[in-house]
Amino acid sequence: MSFEYHEPTSLAEAVALGARFGDDGRFLAGGTDLIIQMHRGKLRPRHVVSLHRVSGLDAIDANGAVHVGALVTHRALERFPAFRGPLRALVEGAEVVGGHQVRNVGTVGGNIVNASPAADVVPVLLTLDASVTCLSPGGERTLRLEDFLIGSGRTARRPDELLTGVRFAGLAPQSATAFLKAGRRRAMEISVVCVAGRLTLDASGERCLEARIALGAVAPRTLRAHEAERFLEHRALTAETLREAAELAVAACQPISDVRASARYRRLLVETLVPRVLARCVERVREQAS
Amino acid sequence: MSKLALTLTINGERHEILTEPHRTLLDVLRADLGLTGTKENCLEAECGVCTVLLDGAAVNACILLAAQCQGRAVLTIEGLARHGDLHPLQRAFIDHGAVQCGYCIPGMILSAQAYLQEHPSPTEDDVRAALAGNLCRCTGYQKIAEAVLAVARDRSARR
Repeated sequence: MSFEYHEPTSLAEAVALGARFGDDGRFLAGGTDLIIQMHRGKLRPRHVVSLHRVSGLDAIDANGAVHVGALVTHRALERFPAFRGPLRALVEGAEVVGGHQVRNVGTVGGNIVNASPAADVVPVLLTLDASVTCLSPGGERTLRLEDFLIGSGRTARRPDELLTGVRFAGLAPQSATAFLKAGRRRAMEISVVCVAGRLTLDASGERCLEARIALGAVAPRTLRAHEAERFLEHRALTAETLREAAELAVAACQPISDVRASARYRRLLVETLVPRVLARCVERVREQAS
Repeated sequence: MSKLALTLTINGERHEILTEPHRTLLDVLRADLGLTGTKENCLEAECGVCTVLLDGAAVNACILLAAQCQGRAVLTIEGLARHGDLHPLQRAFIDHGAVQCGYCIPGMILSAQAYLQEHPSPTEDDVRAALAGNLCRCTGYQKIAEAVLAVARDRSARR
């Protein structure tokens, strides 16, 4: 692999370089995916634009709406104090990415633009109705994360755009999140299936006001299970309704069979994990209330 | 291809390095500086044998460009012993028989070092989770965990 290396020191300069090189260039954040793809010869950029001298992209702001800069590492996400409460799924997703060594370096922005269907933080962000901000020399645009993710490794990012961060509204009262991942071993594993959930309950804590369910590694891109969400809203959350929601979530999947698992096994995992994630959300809302 | 002039502090010593942009920290450590204690294996951040500490945090040197380390401090296994005295983790790995073929051990010790700096009183499960990014194909995890726990216990006893 050989390329020209660039180290812009401002966002404007980074974006100008990105626009100049277009498809011949790649932004380098943590590099935990990019460098591996380059070693394998799958990507051969002629220009690598490193972002590590660009300041202002590695901050998390959680006063009101939450903004996570593109260069925030998984380690920083894992340890951010404000994510230990109802937003705990962000921690749960971040802490199962690779080993410590990868989480110390790999970034949230990288995880998003990499667009792996098995990304662990992405489903959590989908349940938070997150949107991403892309910057080009022409200006900034904001897209819903759900629209940004197009397919495996494919996003709506244009070659002249840099993803600068991801944003979502703070949670309503009586809300909680949860994330579960199934792999063949407990650590250092690409998800066979991962499921994220968010529930907002009514004041009694029995009935669902709003539900979000996102599924990883069951389709070319991370999916929202819209029908399952709609089914749950305004219903009492019983074992029966959670099971019905799980069936609707299974219907939304288009899993493949690969070295990690068969399509059938992935569907069974969705059927099992969706009720577990939702039950955990319910438990957490009640814990927070008490 | 133009070369980059980098300044890296490695094991407390400043190094001026001239290298191509595609070369990794691992390439520079092993080939340019002869620091072969940092091992090379999967080159995809799966196995952890190339683990070094970058500004105190464990990283996989195999997928980190040397250029990303400009101006930063790197600690390799060669920098852990002081004045000829083995580091307590090195001593404990020997005393507990935690070393079999030895290939994973430099990375294992550096991951443990980074972890214990922040978590002085871990449980065995904590230690196992902290070392999840370091594979031992001799599968000697039990004694490795025991060695790390022994260092933590010994340090708490001294405080």
